Amino acid sequence: MNFEPKILGFLCNWCSYAGGDLAGVSRIQYPPNIRVIRVMCSGRVDPKFILSGLQVGIDGIIVMGCHHGDCHYLEGNYEAEVKFKMVKLLLSLVDLQDRIHLEWVSASEGVRFGEVVTSFTESIKKLGPSPLSGENFDQQLLEKLKAIELAAGGERLRALVASKRIIMEEGNIYGEKISQEELDEILISAIEDEFLRQQILLKLKNEPLSVKDLSQLLNIDSSVILKHIISLKARNLIDYIKIEGITPFYQKL
Amino acid sequence: MYYLERNSSNVLIIGAGIAGIQAALDLADMGVKVHLVEKRPCIGGKMAQLDKTFPTLDCSICILAPKLSDCYRHPNITLYTLSEVQKVDGSEGNFSVEILKHPRYIKEDVCTGCGDCAKICPVRGILNYFDANLVTLAAAYIPFPSAVPPIYLIDRKRCVYLTHGICVLCTKACDAEAIDFTQKDTIIKLNNISSIIIASGFNLIEDINPLKEYGYKKYPNVVTALEFERLICASGPQQGHLRRLSDGIDPKKIAYIQCAGSRNIKDKKYCSSICCMYTTKEAMITYEHDNEVESYVFYIDMRAGGKGFQKFLERGKAEYNINYINNKIAKIKVDENENPIIIYEDLNDGKIKELKVDLVVLATCIIPSEGNKKLADILGVDLDEYNFIKTKPFFSMETSKKGIFTCGCSHEPMDIPRSVAEASSAAARVAEIAKGR
Amino acid sequence: MKSEDEPIRIGVFVCHCGTNIGGVLDCEGLTEYAATLPNVVFSDHNLYTCAEIGLKTIKEAIEEHNLNRVIVCSCTPRTHEPLFRSACEEAGLNKYLFSFVNIREQCSWVHMKKPEDAFEKAKDLIKMGVARATKLEALETIVVDVDPSALVIGGGISGMNAASNLSKQGFKTYLVEKEKNLGGLLNSLYRLFPNDQESSELLKDIESRIQADKNITVYTSTMITSIDGFVGNFEVEINQNGNSIRIKVGAIIVAVGATPLKPINLFGYDGKIRITQFELENVLKNYSLNANNIVMIQCVGTRNEERMYCSNFCCMSALKNALIIKEKNPDVHIAILFRDMHTPGIAYEEYYRRARESGIIFIKYSPEKPPIVEENKIKIYNEYLGTEIIIPYELLVLSTPLIANEDNKQIAQLLKVPLEENNFFLEAHVKLRPNDFATDGVYIAGSAKWPVDITESISQGYAAAARASTILSHDTLEVEGATSYLPEEYKDLCRGCEICLKLCPYKAIRKNEKDEIEIIQVLCKGCGVCGASCPKKAIKIKHFTNEQILSEIYALGGKELP
Ligand SMILES: Cc1cc2nc3c(=O)[nH]c(=O)nc-3n(C[C@H](O)[C@H](O)[C@H](O)COP(=O)(O)OP(=O)(O)OC[C@H]3O[C@@H](n4cnc5c(N)ncnc54)[C@H](O)[C@@H]3O)c2cc1C
Ligand SMILES: Cc1cc2nc3c(=O)[nH]c(=O)nc-3n(C[C@H](O)[C@H](O)[C@H](O)COP(=O)(O)OP(=O)(O)OC[C@H]3O[C@@H](n4cnc5c(N)ncnc54)[C@H](O)[C@@H]3O)c2cc1C
Ligand code: SF4
Ligand code: SF4
Ligand code: SF4
Repeated sequence: MNFEPKILGFLCNWCSYAGGDLAGVSRIQYPPNIRVIRVMCSGRVDPKFILSGLQVGIDGIIVMGCHHGDCHYLEGNYEAEVKFKMVKLLLSLVDLQDRIHLEWVSASEGVRFGEVVTSFTESIKKLGPSPLSGENFDQQLLEKLKAIELAAGGERLRALVASKRIIMEEGNIYGEKISQEELDEILISAIEDEFLRQQILLKLKNEPLSVKDLSQLLNIDSSVILKHIISLKARNLIDYIKIEGITPFYQKL
Repeated sequence: MYYLERNSSNVLIIGAGIAGIQAALDLADMGVKVHLVEKRPCIGGKMAQLDKTFPTLDCSICILAPKLSDCYRHPNITLYTLSEVQKVDGSEGNFSVEILKHPRYIKEDVCTGCGDCAKICPVRGILNYFDANLVTLAAAYIPFPSAVPPIYLIDRKRCVYLTHGICVLCTKACDAEAIDFTQKDTIIKLNNISSIIIASGFNLIEDINPLKEYGYKKYPNVVTALEFERLICASGPQQGHLRRLSDGIDPKKIAYIQCAGSRNIKDKKYCSSICCMYTTKEAMITYEHDNEVESYVFYIDMRAGGKGFQKFLERGKAEYNINYINNKIAKIKVDENENPIIIYEDLNDGKIKELKVDLVVLATCIIPSEGNKKLADILGVDLDEYNFIKTKPFFSMETSKKGIFTCGCSHEPMDIPRSVAEASSAAARVAEIAKGR
Repeated sequence: MKSEDEPIRIGVFVCHCGTNIGGVLDCEGLTEYAATLPNVVFSDHNLYTCAEIGLKTIKEAIEEHNLNRVIVCSCTPRTHEPLFRSACEEAGLNKYLFSFVNIREQCSWVHMKKPEDAFEKAKDLIKMGVARATKLEALETIVVDVDPSALVIGGGISGMNAASNLSKQGFKTYLVEKEKNLGGLLNSLYRLFPNDQESSELLKDIESRIQADKNITVYTSTMITSIDGFVGNFEVEINQNGNSIRIKVGAIIVAVGATPLKPINLFGYDGKIRITQFELENVLKNYSLNANNIVMIQCVGTRNEERMYCSNFCCMSALKNALIIKEKNPDVHIAILFRDMHTPGIAYEEYYRRARESGIIFIKYSPEKPPIVEENKIKIYNEYLGTEIIIPYELLVLSTPLIANEDNKQIAQLLKVPLEENNFFLEAHVKLRPNDFATDGVYIAGSAKWPVDITESISQGYAAAARASTILSHDTLEVEGATSYLPEEYKDLCRGCEICLKLCPYKAIRKNEKDEIEIIQVLCKGCGVCGASCPKKAIKIKHFTNEQILSEIYALGGKELP
């Protein structure tokens, strides 16, 4: 049987949803895989929505908003873009980045709305079913995705992403303006850190583990793990509960 | 709960372009009852036909559509489409008005806008003004899919039932039973109108003058700016994929000719004010679609005084491959492949030169709204030498008659920001009177 | 109003829309499917749900089946939501308990050739809609009082006209001017284009109207010191000669004008024989002119890297003054060196033609080869002739642009409104809201926004007054219930980072007296950016809550919401 993906679309009310309406009025035909959730502004799309969607087995998720400069709420679409970038970076750590897509579609682009939906549907068809749906369900991936959700929902990444434009325009607390590139670098390293920490935390929730255990489980160099263990401990998120020989075992608090 | 409602009277606004709509919404939001008369079947005027708008390049219909539906739904606005004012008596504070409303032959409150009537209608070939006559429709039609009100109408001159008494296929096709061939012209009388705003907008010179000297209509690859707006618009006749009308080839070299019909000593001596800007806009949009396109703008003076306009032009030069040529056009001819050739005097060095391009776009002169003469007679207001509504110096909303105001392009060519500001200013003046002070 | 705790009872209404939906989708089938979904107690289908009869069915069903959620599956909420919402309200159901499922634009019209797939999609959409409806909450619209009075900052021509109009509309108006006199730049002008009226005459007319108007209180030599509150309820403190005065107003108009640039170090400016166009006005006023050769240079200090803008009316000012001089003494030689003559429209182009006919010489120069000013002559390269020309002068007049006032930044901070890169005030939307700020209840007029002539300054003064009146004309202001807020129970979460406060495009968020984040409900437009960004997830976005949206996602995935 042909694979028919399940696709979810988040459309802003003022441009993209209106573009979808125009596609309808103009009887533009496009693949019937997409299911739409209307939000007032693309800036409303919380990273959690995208990550939850993937967790429940949706094959592809597309966010659509107004073109730059057209946002009904002035600049919500810029916020959407920054958030989306972060989610994309996080997902690239587990190779799911191609399952999500951001696109600007205006209220006059009925034909284009159809084209965008068609090409996204095609691209998901090529990727095949989500590893989080159906028979080949990948439990490990689900756990990683949970770690990603926790990382994205954590205060550090949320604050970093939300203040990105503020820092670029007004400067940070020291009044320094930081360039897009520098900020992206900071963001990428923060994303990698947070993802790993959340994975460690998830593992330590169930049973006490040593650095070596974690290193094996997560397939990551033990020196890197140790670095994070120290910082997690400093933040009072974990502590060792026993020492076997000279090896400490940690658990989530 | 409106503070004003207690003692306010009614207001008449003529023309539902962006200016008329803004004035109507402001007054309605103040609690004043507005009667808005539009001669076309739908509201929005020229702005609804534009693709994107300078200087921020936002999509015209996207920003306009919410205003259209606000205007249509506002409890204080009564909208009369396909209507004209035919008689006005009285004076400031108390005008009485007669509106002639033409039938749609479709019941406004029943039609669901499904378009089944248009699908079945056997008559074709009705030129659609909305798409600058580049598209034809059936006799049962709606000018554009997102038109407001979203109600179809039947062209009385072309419907074969109305002209020859046969057909009624649409009546059968319409499940909602909205079609009503018994509708007649009706006259609506309004009393106690405290003041009137004229927002009749503008026409373009090609509506009355074939622009022979530019080869317009003779050469298929010479088009007007408004036609071009439709051609590059995603909801237009070519779905936004620009092709030449002669052979369907994508143009790579486009010339834009400023002041076509304007600043002309013999006839329209004035400057149309907005063409310099919209030309750069059109060239930018074209470049965004296809960045192999080279643009040449033939201009006399570059007029870009509005907010952000200079920057817009600089961006055009730097990022969008637009070349500006200070010139006087002598003539346009074509080669055997219908490629236009422009012969011009370069005002920078005084030499006569030629440039061969794939497509020519004419920034045509803005002229007074077609019915201004008749309207001015009915209202008793003065016109200027060109038939624009005459206004008082410094007070651009005041006409020669007390209680009658104007805004937007009905009295002078101007861009959207100024049309909107003027519309609000006319509303402010009207509010003084409507409140009986 | 239905109470929150009672069991959820959803009614689903599927519309055929003639054949538009019914022709593609099996509407009876969808109705039956809806009945199987959790919490759905009633489902029905109509030929036209939006027709009177369809609406009646909804209202009757609400009564009869005691529905506390209603779902219509038909066309697009963008056009039809208000209609169905009001039908629900008529039957006593809070309008926010209505939910829309679009199976026409999103389904039957775009999948006409695949009716089975379309049917499956419609089922999913209904399932998602039901999940969302289950989580919907009744919302109250918020009502605030409006003080029917206004403050106009700046007593130039635009501010005075704004004040006069507001007062005539019946609103108490305060006009605050920082100088000793009203009038702004017009105090320094001689005659005015386009009709050569004396500036003092135009000023006298409006000033006397203002002074006679009992509804207007004028404060001259006065500065604004603080502004608090929000639309309908601003509290303003002003300072007149050291005395502090407090006023309460419903709306504020900014009309602080702009300042002519002094061209220090440009073209040998010395304020004596090389003066600005603005200074020339004063010379003409006293008619103390004795020069036979006059040269004017346009675009001085502007349309360059530093100021990438055209000041709009300087070409006209130059033409005006040149014509005035020519009229008094036709033998004076005047040359105007320009880049582009900016005389748009009807009257201004006419003026330009008159100037050309009067014998004034126009020479175009390019910014790459600007005129070179020497002791008593100017060298200019004429592109058209391809040579350099030398023109003698006894008076050189430099047309400089209007630049933004220095204290714009302070005013902007007091009002929490933005400036653009040249420090002029930035309006809410360049095209469709030219005289509004994004912040409700604050408006902008005249040269404070951008250099404009008197006609536009006046028209904008009136326009700003009209916009203010759309608020002031109401006793109370009712606002959308679907806003964001910081719920009592989440207050502890907030760590005061102020990210939300900075991101809100409408400046709806502030820190209140208790140093807590507070979202001013009348200002919030419900975009949800604050809530989606808050690092602590403390903000709740009503009607688009996380729970509501997640319930749709989980329904689509066929999973239980955790
Ligand atoms: C090619 C082109 C491109 C443009 N691009 C831009 C741009 O990018 N940015 C920008 O700011 N501006 C642009 N403009 C200018 C813009 O179109 C106008 O500023 C604006 O449309 C003026 O609005 P209006 O309401 O005054 O007139 P109109 O839009 O002309 O509306 C007038 C309305 O009144 C109706 N009417 C007329 N007479 C009567 C009557 N007697 N009785 C009843 N109804 C009547 C008409 O049918 C119409 O609906 C462009 C213009 C053109 C031609
Ligand atoms: C040389 C020259 C010639 C001109 N000739 C003409 C002409 O012939 N015809 C024409 O149409 N236009 C002409 N203009 C343009 C005209 O001057 C402007 O259009 C007009 O002055 C703008 O009015 P305004 O009210 O916006 O600003 P302004 O006239 O600048 O008035 C602003 C007022 O606000 C006050 N103010 C500023 N800051 C504050 C504050 N913080 N608190 C309180 N009050 C404050 C100022 O003191 C001032 O009184 C000319 C301009 C120049 C420079
Ligand atoms: S008249 Fe009837 S068939 Fe035509 S659009 Fe309206 S409802 Fe549809
Ligand atoms: S963003 Fe959240 S945590 Fe930060 S101040 Fe606002 S409500 Fe508080
Ligand atoms: S929802 Fe939007 S408008 Fe409302 S407070 Fe949050 S950011 Fe501001």
